[in-house]
Amino acid sequence: MTVDPFAAAAGLVSRSAAAYASSIPESPADEGFFGPGSVAWRVSADLSSPVAGLRALLMQALHPLAMAGVDQHSDWRQDPVGRLAATNAYLATVTFGDRGSAERVSARVRRIHEHVRGVDTVTGRAYEAGDPALLLWVHATFVQSRIVTAALFGTPLAAPDSDRYVAEMVTEAELVGVPRELVPASTADLDAYIDSVRPELRGTPAARESMDYLLDPPGLDEDMGEIWQDVRDAAVASLPAWARDIYGYTSTPLTDARRAEIHQALGVLDAVFLGEPGVLEARQRIALRARAARPA
Amino acid sequence: MKKLLTAVSVVAGLAGLAVVGRRMGRLRLSRGRAALQLVIRGGLRYASSAPRLFAAAGEHRQQLRNDLALQTAEDVATTLGAMKGVLMKIGQMASYVGDGLSPAVRRTLSRLQDSVPPMSPELAAGVVREELGLPPEEAFARWDPEPIAAASIGQVHRAITHDGRAVAVKVQYPGIAETITADLGNVALLRRMLRITAPAQDVDALIAELRDRVLEELDYRREADNQRLVAAYYDGHPTIIVPKIIDELSTRRLVTSELADGARFAELAQWSQEERDLAAETIYRFTFRSLYDVHAFNGDPHPGNYLFHGGGRVTFLDFGLVKHFSTEELQPLVDMVRYLCVEQDPEGFRASMVNAGFLRPDAPLSTETVVEHMAVFYDTVRRPGPLTITGDYASAVVRRFFDVRSPLAQWVSVPRSYVILQRINLGLFAILGELTATADWRAIAEEIWPFMQGPPATPMGEAEAAWRAGRSSAAEPAA
Repeated sequence: MTVDPFAAAAGLVSRSAAAYASSIPESPADEGFFGPGSVAWRVSADLSSPVAGLRALLMQALHPLAMAGVDQHSDWRQDPVGRLAATNAYLATVTFGDRGSAERVSARVRRIHEHVRGVDTVTGRAYEAGDPALLLWVHATFVQSRIVTAALFGTPLAAPDSDRYVAEMVTEAELVGVPRELVPASTADLDAYIDSVRPELRGTPAARESMDYLLDPPGLDEDMGEIWQDVRDAAVASLPAWARDIYGYTSTPLTDARRAEIHQALGVLDAVFLGEPGVLEARQRIALRARAARPA
Repeated sequence: MKKLLTAVSVVAGLAGLAVVGRRMGRLRLSRGRAALQLVIRGGLRYASSAPRLFAAAGEHRQQLRNDLALQTAEDVATTLGAMKGVLMKIGQMASYVGDGLSPAVRRTLSRLQDSVPPMSPELAAGVVREELGLPPEEAFARWDPEPIAAASIGQVHRAITHDGRAVAVKVQYPGIAETITADLGNVALLRRMLRITAPAQDVDALIAELRDRVLEELDYRREADNQRLVAAYYDGHPTIIVPKIIDELSTRRLVTSELADGARFAELAQWSQEERDLAAETIYRFTFRSLYDVHAFNGDPHPGNYLFHGGGRVTFLDFGLVKHFSTEELQPLVDMVRYLCVEQDPEGFRASMVNAGFLRPDAPLSTETVVEHMAVFYDTVRRPGPLTITGDYASAVVRRFFDVRSPLAQWVSVPRSYVILQRINLGLFAILGELTATADWRAIAEEIWPFMQGPPATPMGEAEAAWRAGRSSAAEPAA
C-alpha cells in the first residue's frame, strides 16, 4: 500500500489567519448562537487555543473510524494546512457569525459528511462521517481540550464557567448533526463520556502518521518551528496519560517555569497571528461587539 | 559629573530581529542657578501661549481607538502580557536597525503596536492619582481626559499647570512594568529564540543586557533626566528647541514636559526646498552637537519626533532612548573622521578603526579595501562644497551597512557601545535623504568637530556661534 506523503506546512499561520479574519462578520444580522456574554467567546480568544486545537486532533485521531474518515476521504495529506484553515474558519463562523451563517456552514459540513463513508482497514468496521457517535467524539474532545489547555496554559475557567461552556457547546454539536440529548452538558458528564469511549480507541498507522506530521510539521520556518515545539509539548503534556501511552509519547512533568515559558511562546505566536492581514481588525470587530453588550 | 556608563548594546535576534540595548549610568544633573532661571523663564514664556498651545495640540490629536480603550489594569495585562509588551519594547529598540528586519517581522511588530488601544480616561486618571497623589483635575489647572497621542507603553495627554504652562503628560499603562518584569524573569524562551539568530553571541549576556535596557525604560525618570540634560544644553539655541521637563510633575510613570506644537514631518515635505534645507541643517547640527558637545546621542530620530516651525526652527521630542558616551568612547570616532577626512591618512584611519574595535587587527585586507568600503559612511563630509543628500544615498548607506558579502563583513563588527550610532547612518541620513537636503555638510561639520571648531559656515552657524559665545560657563559638558 502506498501512502501519500504529507505536503509541507508552510503557510500554517497565514492561511489559518486568513480563514479566521474572513469568518468574523462585519455586520452580523444577530449575535449568533452564543453572543458577546458567552463563555464560548471568551474561551475562543484564549491564548491556549492553538494547543487546544492540537490536543483535540491528537484525541480525535485515536478513534479509528474518525481517523479513517479523514484519511480516506479528505485532502488531508495533500493539503493539511488548508484542511486546518477550513476547520478554523468553520469554528470562527459558528462562534462569532450570526445564526444564519452558522447554520449555513454547518449544513455544508453535514452535506460533505454524507459522502464520507467506507471501511476502516485496521478494524474492518464500516463508518459514516455523519454517524452521531463519531461526531460526538470529535465534539467532546474539542470542548474538553479547550477547558484543559486553558487551565494549564491560558486563563483557567472557574468551575461554573467550565460547566456553562460545556452547556453552551451543546448547540455546536447539534449544528453538525448530533441529537441534543446525546451531548454532555456538564464538565463531569463530558469527562465521563470521554472515558466511556476509551475501549474503542487505538493508535492506527494513519493516526500515528498524521500526528507525527502535526507534531513536527515540515516546512515551518525556523522561528515558527521553535514556537511549535512549545505548542507540541504543551499539547502532549495536556493529554490524559492513557492517550499518551497509546501513542507512546513521553512527557516530563510540567514545572511552573515551563508552563510560563509555554504561555510566553503562545503570546509570541499570537503576536505573529496578529501581524497577519485582517486579524487585528477581526479582533476589533469582536471587541466592539463585546463592549456594546457590556452593561454600562 | 561622574563618568556616564558605557552602553552595552547588542544586535541579536528574536525571530530574525535585531535587538539593541543601551546601558546608561545614573544621570544627575546639577541643578544650579542656570537651571533655576530656565524654569522661571520657561514659565513666563509659556504662560502667554498656553491656551493656544493647548488648543493646537488638540487639533493635532492622533487617531486613537478610544472605542476600544483599556479599562482596567487587567485589560492591560491581557493585552500586553505573555511577551507582547516585551516584544513591543524590543521592536522599538530594534528600529535602530529597522532596515535589517524582514518585512514579516516589521509587520508583526508594527501591528502589535497598533493592537494596543489607549487607556480609558478613568484608567489614565488613576495612574495620575497614584503618581501625584491627586486626581488629574486637581493636579493640573486643566486636563484633557482624551489622549492626544499614543506612546509605546503609555499615552500622552495635554494639560495646563497651575502656574499656567501648557504641558504634555506621558502616562504609563498601569501594571505594564510588573507584566514586563515578570516576563523578563523567565528567559528560557528568549534564550532559545536568540540562539537561532545569534548563535555566535553570548546569549545569556545578551539577555541580561536586554532585560536591563527594557526595565530601565519602564522608569520614566530616566527619560526625564535625558531630556533635562539636553534641554539645558540647548537653552536659548537659535533653531534647536527641546521642551523642558516639569520636575514636580514627573515621576516613575509620568513625564511632564512643555507642550510644543508645529508642523509634522509629512507637512514639511510640502514646504519649499529652502525651508527643508534649513530644517535639515538644524537636525544635522543637533545630531552632531549633541554627540560631540553633550556626549549624548538620541537613538530614536524617527520622523514623528520632530516638529517644524519654519526658518529652520525644530522642536526635538522623545528622549527615551539616549546613549551617553564617555570621552574615551568618543575619541576613536573622532580620530576616524579626522584621519579619513582631514589628515587624509588611511593608515591612521585603519588604526583608529582597530582601536575602536570596529576592525579586527588581523584582518587580511589592504587599507585601500578598508577605506573603499567605509568611505560611503563619510561621503557627506569628505570634501567641501554643497552636496545634496538623496534618498538613493541613504539607501546606499543602508545597503552597505548590511552587505554581508562585502570583503569586510567577516572582519568588522560594531562594538556594543557604538551600536546605537548606526542610527546616524540608518536614521539621520534616511531623513535628510527624504528631504533631499542640500548644504555644505563638510563646512558645517568643521564647525562642530572638536579638533577643528571651524568658523561659521552658514547664517545658522553664525547664529549658533553667537549663542555659544553667550552661553554661561556654568553650562558644562555633560560627560
